[in-house]
Amino acid sequence: MCSLDDNFENKEVKHFPKVEKINLRDLKCNKCRENIPVVLLRHKDAYCKECFLAGATHKFKALLGKTKLIRPHDRVLISYEVGHPSTALLHFLRSGLDLNTPKQLRFEPVIVFLEDQWHLTVEERIEIVEKVKKEISWFKFQVNLVSFADSVCNNNIVISQMNLELHENNKENINSILKKHINRTNKKEVLNILRRNILISIAKKLNCRYIITPELSVDIATNLLTNICLGKGSQVPDDTGFCDHRDKDVKILRPLRTFDMKEVAFYNIFNNLTPVTVRQPDVHQYSSIQTLVNHFITDLQDNYPATVTTIVKTGDKLASGDHIVRDKCKLCQGIILEKTDELNSEESTKFSRLLSNELIDHALSREDRYLKIKYKFDSCTDRNQRYCFSCSKISEFILLNDTN
Amino acid sequence: MPFCSTNCGNKAILKRPKTGDTLCKECFFEAFENEIHFTIERAKLFRPGATVAIAASGGKDSTVLAYVLKLLNEKYKYNLKLLLLSIDEGITGYRDDSLDTVKQNRDDYEMPLKILSYKDLYGWTMDEIVAEIGRKNNCTFCGVFRRQALDRGAHLLKVDYLATGHNADDIAETVLMNILRGDLARLSRCTAITTDSGDGIPRVKPLKYTFEKEIVMYAYFRKLIYFSTECVFAPNAYRGHARILLKDLEKIDPSIIMNIIQSGEDLKVNENAKIPTLTRCTRCNYVSSQDVCKACILLEGLNKGLPRLGIGKSSKVKRLLQENEEKETNRLVCNGKDNTCICKNSKVPIIK
Ligand SMILES: [Zn+2]
Ligand SMILES: [Zn+2]
Ligand SMILES: [Zn+2]
Repeated sequence: MCSLDDNFENKEVKHFPKVEKINLRDLKCNKCRENIPVVLLRHKDAYCKECFLAGATHKFKALLGKTKLIRPHDRVLISYEVGHPSTALLHFLRSGLDLNTPKQLRFEPVIVFLEDQWHLTVEERIEIVEKVKKEISWFKFQVNLVSFADSVCNNNIVISQMNLELHENNKENINSILKKHINRTNKKEVLNILRRNILISIAKKLNCRYIITPELSVDIATNLLTNICLGKGSQVPDDTGFCDHRDKDVKILRPLRTFDMKEVAFYNIFNNLTPVTVRQPDVHQYSSIQTLVNHFITDLQDNYPATVTTIVKTGDKLASGDHIVRDKCKLCQGIILEKTDELNSEESTKFSRLLSNELIDHALSREDRYLKIKYKFDSCTDRNQRYCFSCSKISEFILLNDTN
Repeated sequence: MPFCSTNCGNKAILKRPKTGDTLCKECFFEAFENEIHFTIERAKLFRPGATVAIAASGGKDSTVLAYVLKLLNEKYKYNLKLLLLSIDEGITGYRDDSLDTVKQNRDDYEMPLKILSYKDLYGWTMDEIVAEIGRKNNCTFCGVFRRQALDRGAHLLKVDYLATGHNADDIAETVLMNILRGDLARLSRCTAITTDSGDGIPRVKPLKYTFEKEIVMYAYFRKLIYFSTECVFAPNAYRGHARILLKDLEKIDPSIIMNIIQSGEDLKVNENAKIPTLTRCTRCNYVSSQDVCKACILLEGLNKGLPRLGIGKSSKVKRLLQENEEKETNRLVCNGKDNTCICKNSKVPIIK
C-alpha cells in the first residue's frame, strides 16, 4: 500500500536532525558565557568543566526530587552494574550525601551487585567481583553481593557482604530452568524479567522500598522499542518511565534516564574516576530482537542523537490503553487487560492459527464451515489467563514451578 | 515444502509468516479469505446495504482487496454495493499503466470504476502544477493532494465507506515510524481499523491483519493482475528507518508484526501530554491540524499566482497568507451595497 504519510511534511521534520561539525575553541560555554567549553553534548550544547559538572548534578537531583517519592531515611537499593553509568551514580550519591547544605540527599543507599557475567571465565568473574568491592568501598558504601544464577536455581536469595561463590556451571544451571528449544529473544526476555523480580525480592529482604537502576537514555529507548516489538505496549510506561509501579511494595526508579553515555563518561573523567570494565560478549546483530533493536538505537545515538531523545520523550507521554485492568501477570507483574469485544491483534493471530490447523470439511457449505470454526474459536477463548500477552508466549518455556 | 498443517494430505505451498503453519493452495485460499471475513465481521466494518468505494491504485494490495471483497460480499451476503475509486494525478506516463490495471480490475470483477483527476478535484493537473512551480517542489504538492484526493473523491461520490488496502506490514511500520518521530497523535490513531476523516465517511482497513507476503502469494496463486511498480514517491527519513528496522525484525521472526500492532492497540497517550488537536479546515471542511489545511493553502497559492505558498515553514505561510489577504482587501471596491468596505464608509460585495 502506498506509504505516503498522512501528514504535512515541513522542511524541519522531513529529515532526521543531522549532526554538524563544531569546533569547541570557537565557542563560549552555553551556561556561563565566559569560559572556553570542553564538552559538546548532543552535538550542539557546549559547556566548560564547571558548568558541565554542576549541570549534571542538578539534572540528577532534579529528576529524583521532582517526584518526591523517596522520603528522608528511606532505604534505597542501588542496583550496581559494571561500567560508567554505575560509577557516575555512586559519585552522584556520595557527593549528595556528603553535602552540608539543604540540598543534601537524605536517604540511605544500599548498594547491591547482582552478578550475572556468565560470558566470562570464573577467574575473570572473581577478578571483577574484587574490583567491584574495591570501587564500592572507595565510595564509602557497604557492598551486598548476590549470585543471580543461585537465586534463580535455588529459589533462595543469599546476600553476602564478603564473598560470592561463583561456579563454572552457573550458565548451565540457568539453561536448565528453560526448555531447550527456547529462542534467544525469549530467553533474554525471561532472564530480564527474572532479574527484575530478584532485585525486588532482594529489596524486600533488605527493607528497601525503592530501587535505583543506572539505565541511560539509550537503554530506555532500546527498552521501549523492544517492548513494542514484543507486544508489551501496555507496559511501556512502567518499563521505561521514571518509576516502575508494578510491584505494590517496591518501586523502581531511573534517575539517569535522560543522561547519555558521553555525559556520564565525561562526568567520571572530570572527577578522576575509572570505572571497572568488563569484556563484552560478542553478539551477532540478528541473534535476537533485543540485540537488533540495541544495534539500531546505538546507530541512532551515533548519527541522530536527537531521535533517541525523541523516543525517550515519547515514552514519557504514553499510558496503557483505556481498557479495564483485570489482573497482574504472574511472571512480569504487567497488567492484563480485560477482554473486550473489540477485535485485536492477539485474537486475529489465534483465529489464523485455528484456521491453519482445521481440515476443510467439504460436506458442509462454506458458511457452515465458517460458523463451525468460529464456534470453536469462541469456546476456546481463555478469559482467565494468568499471563500478559507477551509472557503467555514465553511462559511455556520456563521449567520453574513458581516464578514469583 | 512439508505437508499442509490442516492434515489434508497435500504438499504445502507456503509457510505462513503470521503463525508459522504451512498450507497447501486450497487451504491457503480458504484461510486467507476467511480471516478477512473474520476481521470484517468481528470489527463490524460495514453496514449491510452500504456503498463502499475501494481505493484502487492498480497495486497488489488494492487488487487483492477488490477481489476478496467481491468474493466475500457474494459468499457471505454482505449486501454491499462495491465500486472502485482511482485518482489520476495527471502525470504524463506515470499513471497510464496502473490505470490500465485498474480498468482491468473493473472488467474482471464487474465493478463500476470512477477515475477522478486532479483536475476534477482541485482544478489543476500535476503537469500544470509542475509547469507553474518547477520540478523541485512538486513532491510537496503531489503528497498533500494525494492524501486528500481519496477523501475528496469519496465525498464527491457520496459513498458510505472508503476501504483502503493497508496491510499488517504497513500498520506495524507506521507504529514504529510514529515512535521515531514522536508523533503521539498519530501513534494513538494509526492502529485503528476504522478512522474518520471528518466528513462522516469512515476509512476502513479490511487487510489490517493480513501480511504483505501472503497478499503477494494470494495474488500470484489466484493469478490476479496487478501493477507491480514501486511507489515513485520516496518515503520520508523516518519511514525509511522504520521500514529498514521492520524488515530486519522480520528476518528474526515475522510474527513480530502482530506484536507491534498489539502494542499499538494497547497504547494510549497520557492525559497530561499535550498533543495537537485536529480540527476541520475552515475552507474545505477536511480534518486538519490548522485552521486552513495544507491542500487549501497550496491551492490558494496556485490560484493566486503564488505557487510557493505553503512549501516553506508554517510561519512563512501565515505571513504570506496574511499579505495575500491584505492584497485581497485592497481590491474591495465601494458600491454602496451589502458588506462594509474597508473604508468603513459604504457597503461592498467581495470581488474575487
Ligand atoms: Zn561555563
Ligand atoms: Zn507478563
Ligand atoms: Zn491443505
